[in-house]
Amino acid sequence: MENKHITIFHGPQHPGITGNMSVELDLIGETIQKATTHVGYLHRGFEKLIERRTVIQAFTIVCRICVPEPDPNEANFAMAVEELTGLEVSPRAQYIRVMVLELSRLAAQFLWMAGQSGSVGLYAVGQWAIADRDLILDLFEELTGARVYHMYIYPGGVRRDLPEGFLQKVQKLLIYMKKRLLDYDDIFINNASFKNRAIGVGVVNKDEAIQNAYVGQVLRGCGIKADVRKDAPYLVYNELDFEVPTQEAGDVYARALVRRAEMDQSVHILEQVIAKMPEGEIMNKLPTHRKFKLPRDDTWVKVESARGEFAYYMAGDGSENIRRMQVRGPSLVHGFTLLEKLLVGQELSDVALIMNSLGICPPEIER
Amino acid sequence: MKWSVDIKGVISPLKILNAFWQKPNTIAYPAVKKETAKGYRGFHTNLLADCIGCANCQDVCMNDAIDMIKVDTEYNAKNSSQCIPRIDYGRCCWCALCTDVCPPNSLKLDEEFVGVSKYASDFLYMPKDK
Repeated sequence: MENKHITIFHGPQHPGITGNMSVELDLIGETIQKATTHVGYLHRGFEKLIERRTVIQAFTIVCRICVPEPDPNEANFAMAVEELTGLEVSPRAQYIRVMVLELSRLAAQFLWMAGQSGSVGLYAVGQWAIADRDLILDLFEELTGARVYHMYIYPGGVRRDLPEGFLQKVQKLLIYMKKRLLDYDDIFINNASFKNRAIGVGVVNKDEAIQNAYVGQVLRGCGIKADVRKDAPYLVYNELDFEVPTQEAGDVYARALVRRAEMDQSVHILEQVIAKMPEGEIMNKLPTHRKFKLPRDDTWVKVESARGEFAYYMAGDGSENIRRMQVRGPSLVHGFTLLEKLLVGQELSDVALIMNSLGICPPEIER
Repeated sequence: MKWSVDIKGVISPLKILNAFWQKPNTIAYPAVKKETAKGYRGFHTNLLADCIGCANCQDVCMNDAIDMIKVDTEYNAKNSSQCIPRIDYGRCCWCALCTDVCPPNSLKLDEEFVGVSKYASDFLYMPKDK
């Protein structure tokens, strides 16, 4: 009997979908003929919302652009405002920001691990990963007062100083993580089930990656050593020693190996941050929110998020409002160009696997 | 087609069985409660003896979650507007900007965060006087 051509919606309720989005799939049998991304089920219109608020008010919205890792958004926003207004950030605040960003990266990688393992049916790994991520969220709760949306990295510094004994708690967590991450190698990274499913699937080649401006693990997974923290250092990353892991194969497994190696690097960076944490002020004295004005100028800032380069364009017009802000997250190109291309010719069961390996966050697409 | 078996890849995941002898990460809620961190951003409190009714909190709130209302209670003598803030928890995003801009530092966030009610009107929350 001949297979019929059918069209199905994969998501937005499907557990293998990364966030509230869906992919419309044209199938013949189990093989995908065409994939079309649909977004807009969750947050949208961030850029327009921000234009209607003062700088200080807009600060609380940006973290919502990516749920798994809100901190790169906060850092980008703060850095853009600081660049436009000429605010200087103290070394202590910069080190605290790096600590928050790296903890956030580690938490996001755990969340990725939960999704990626779930996409191949290894649910126990996902439960471990979520539990370990929670240990990081506990630290965030103590430092920032919130677990997921921290609203902590503020233009001019950070909102709170480190609580007493906080660095020791981070140190204790890192000792645990170093041991724990080896367990993940055994149960997930070296797992034959995952390897069989991931090797040779969702392959991206080097030329295509450069031509289409892919970022993050997609780029590093096909052998290109690109990381904003090294290429255009921000905050105090130029004072820290770390490596940019790469792989050559360009498939789902190569991206997983890159992410796993990046978790080790985050732990290494955090150890240095704890050792080097300077004393001093954490915040500049700022005018009230009605008097906090952006000059008539524009800027482009970027940070390396857990999923790749994350950039903001910001323009001021001399008033207390932001004239224009544009968000360029890694998902924009990965969720449209790359995903739609990679899925063609793949099996239906590989959709969740490939999506998770790209780290797509829908609000960055329809922003 | 060549068949091969990844022996290490088959055996190493069995390490997960060790978890049977480890202490679980989960807690027996509600018998055991997780302690909230000091400084957690929970429900609002407003020390009425200090509140001056300036409405800075209302002005900074980007969600329009704060209304300044008159209530039958004893005000601070310096409260010229005779109004105090009421929070709409259907709108609040717990950003704590309202507490940052409070000149007498009377509006604060408490560590308490569990609130259950069958009435939607209870979302309009009068901060406790403390």
